[in-house]
Amino acid sequence: MPNVKPEMRVIFVVILSLFAAFLFLPLLILFARSFEDEQGISIANYMSIWSDRNMIEASFNSLKVSAAAAFISTILGFMLAYAIHCTNMYRPLKSVLKTAIVVPMLLPTITYGFAIIYSLGNQGLLTKLAGRSLFDIYGFNGLLIGYVIYTLPSAFLLLHNAFQSVDKKFIIVSKLMGDGTLRSFANTILRPLIGTLGGAFVLSFILSFTDFGIPASLGGAYPVVATQLYQVMLGSIPDFNQGAVIAVLMLVPAMFGIWLLKRLERLNFHYDKLADTELPRHRIRDAAFGFISIATVLGMLSVFAVMFIAPWLTAFPYDLTFTLKHVISTFQSSDLTRVYVNSLFVALLTALFGTLIAYSAAILNVRTSLMGRSALDIVSMISNTVPGMVLGISYLLLFNGSSLKGTFAILVICNMMHFFTTPYLMAKNALSRMNPSWETTGELLGDSWFNTVWRVILPNSASTVIEMASYFFINAMVTVSGIIFLVSAQTSVVASKIKELQHFGKFNEIFVISLLIFFTNLIIKLLCDYLQKRRTVN
Amino acid sequence: MSHILKLQNISKHFDGKTILDNISFEIGTGEIVSLLGPSGSGKTTLLNIILGLTQMDQGKIIFHQSDLTHVPMRKRGFNIVFQDYALFPNLNAYDNIVYGQRNNKESASPQQIQEYIEFLELKPHLQKKIGELSGGQKQRVALARTLVTNPKILLLDEPLSALDGVIKESIKQRIQSIAREFKLTTIIVTHDPEEALTISDKILIINQGKISQFGAPQEIVHQPSNDFVDQFIIKQLHIKRQNIYNLFGEQYA
Ligand SMILES: Nc1ncnc2c1ncn2[C@@H]1O[C@H](COP(=O)(O)OP(=O)(O)OP(=O)(O)O)[C@@H](O)[C@H]1O
Ligand SMILES: [Mg+2]
Repeated sequence: MPNVKPEMRVIFVVILSLFAAFLFLPLLILFARSFEDEQGISIANYMSIWSDRNMIEASFNSLKVSAAAAFISTILGFMLAYAIHCTNMYRPLKSVLKTAIVVPMLLPTITYGFAIIYSLGNQGLLTKLAGRSLFDIYGFNGLLIGYVIYTLPSAFLLLHNAFQSVDKKFIIVSKLMGDGTLRSFANTILRPLIGTLGGAFVLSFILSFTDFGIPASLGGAYPVVATQLYQVMLGSIPDFNQGAVIAVLMLVPAMFGIWLLKRLERLNFHYDKLADTELPRHRIRDAAFGFISIATVLGMLSVFAVMFIAPWLTAFPYDLTFTLKHVISTFQSSDLTRVYVNSLFVALLTALFGTLIAYSAAILNVRTSLMGRSALDIVSMISNTVPGMVLGISYLLLFNGSSLKGTFAILVICNMMHFFTTPYLMAKNALSRMNPSWETTGELLGDSWFNTVWRVILPNSASTVIEMASYFFINAMVTVSGIIFLVSAQTSVVASKIKELQHFGKFNEIFVISLLIFFTNLIIKLLCDYLQKRRTVN
Repeated sequence: MSHILKLQNISKHFDGKTILDNISFEIGTGEIVSLLGPSGSGKTTLLNIILGLTQMDQGKIIFHQSDLTHVPMRKRGFNIVFQDYALFPNLNAYDNIVYGQRNNKESASPQQIQEYIEFLELKPHLQKKIGELSGGQKQRVALARTLVTNPKILLLDEPLSALDGVIKESIKQRIQSIAREFKLTTIIVTHDPEEALTISDKILIINQGKISQFGAPQEIVHQPSNDFVDQFIIKQLHIKRQNIYNLFGEQYA
């Protein structure tokens, strides 16, 4: 590792100050506000919140539906990952499934709710196809479906990665040792994955518990914590102190969850070396898992199908004649096109600055011997813990009176702070695997540290940088929970506009701009995949 | 012979453990010196201290009468070939070689660079990516890249250990002739006694952070100054000799 240079210290201080100002300080204010009332400092807010029956019910509902969704997502995610890694299913089918399963990640969660209403509601597409109403979607069932769709891709990706590092040779070894099917499965698959399975459950739970988009579109009569929080902050009688209390209470399960995730990581196995292994043939296994995974992915996609159909029909589901009028009117509405441009602008800036900060932080953390560099890991952990809604509310409390209020800057900063962890870990992973002597070599060859980073480190991690930027972009495009509290009439972005359109019952417009988000993200994703491929081929 | 580099009472601790204990020796201009010792004896640490990458806890480094102890790595003007070469995979062989050229006024002229390339027989490989080079080719590219900066002292960390048989011998000869032809003072880290004895003018044997013996190959072979040198250096060579003798017969012994 190179000796510490002054420029490293400067960047370190800049990054830490950013987090101090836009992560720690807002959270601190949030805590302070939650203890504030007319009399001064007290825990009165915490007491009074429980006198509200709605709040108790909402907490209970949130726990219940999030846990149920997490359970289902973990099971389904496991079965899908198993189908991809441990069956001799037709290969192209595996890659189709792998791609299709992450499609929901390209859409804001607030869209899911409308897709569910239009698919499974009384007049919904799937309801019509089934010929009868399947179940009541306004409440537990609808939320459950929405949360499962939302968390399944994350749970799947987690398990998929874990499966990649499980040595399948042991399946053969276990067979040779005479283990029965169940015992073999328990020893070679379940045991190595138990930590990740727990991790998938916890992650899905936190995501569901803190999501705002799905209950915002579906909730209605079924209160959950997220909708309560929104009501208290932006409802008819806003009460910021009460809001602060709910936000703090939302932070508690998230903190507990992150702590649990850390604990669960320790259960994971680490195999030294992975050999490619031929799997034993097993027709029934392959057919069963093939069927389950296809059904899961198709079921998930069918919910979104309506989104691609409804905007082209005159008045779905009553008048099914083809028309372009919704699409045209959406594009003609200067309001909506401006909102789209705003979204692009925010997403691009988030991608640019977010990548810059996360990459710099990762370099300082793994490629220098800077004192206190592990502070960046702590920052990353905190950022990972704070739900978007909580961050948004903290910003609202701290910056409401400042000149940052209602600017694009605050949206970009909020996104950068909120989505910091994943790209930071991506960069750390890539940077720590590169030769530790490059900077020293560059220095001995006369380069400044910046020069070596620019000429050597960056080109050798270009593929990771692209992936980071794509992550920031897509998430900035779909996020609702944080920015819903921060947008102004001038800075309105697509995902928050949907909430407004819902208010006026403009569902066709909602679908058209959802499609716009979807295709924008799809293009970015494909472009980044292509660029990454090109980098690795070279 | 004039002494170009003097190390005086160098000590280094890591986490309270003594890694180098009171190391002192002197190197003459244009000499090849090997640092020989078993794994973990502190060879790389000593090399990095000379380079300026690692700070020592005590001691002094004198180069040409001037005290280098507090001079940072870059100002010392030494250069190293790391054990894993640390070549830049985003650049081809040629761009690696000339990487440092634009940064330093003292670095090699274009003719000189051509000379190095020819001498190291790298002409046919210049346009190759690093991943396409063999171990020996990588070694030579790394050597050329380092030579281009015209280092005042050349440091090599286990330059031969990743190479096999024939290539090892040819690189060994090249390192020797570079040191001779360009009058380049060279310090080589190795754990192989045979390598040390055949390549160097002087050998510094380190064991557990202390100097076991410092002298010319002849001295070490004929007057091992203690048990360690006798047991671990000379014994190994005898075993080798015995093996060859068993294979080929009397005249090789
Ligand atoms: N940065 C460090 N922090 C802590 N201990 C270290 C550090 N660098 C080296 N050491 C320890 O110092 C001792 C000497 O290490 P060094 O790399 O100098 O040995 P070496 O003689 O080069 O061994 P090898 O032949 O295996 O390369 C070892 O015990 C090593 O664990
Ligand atoms: Mg070493």
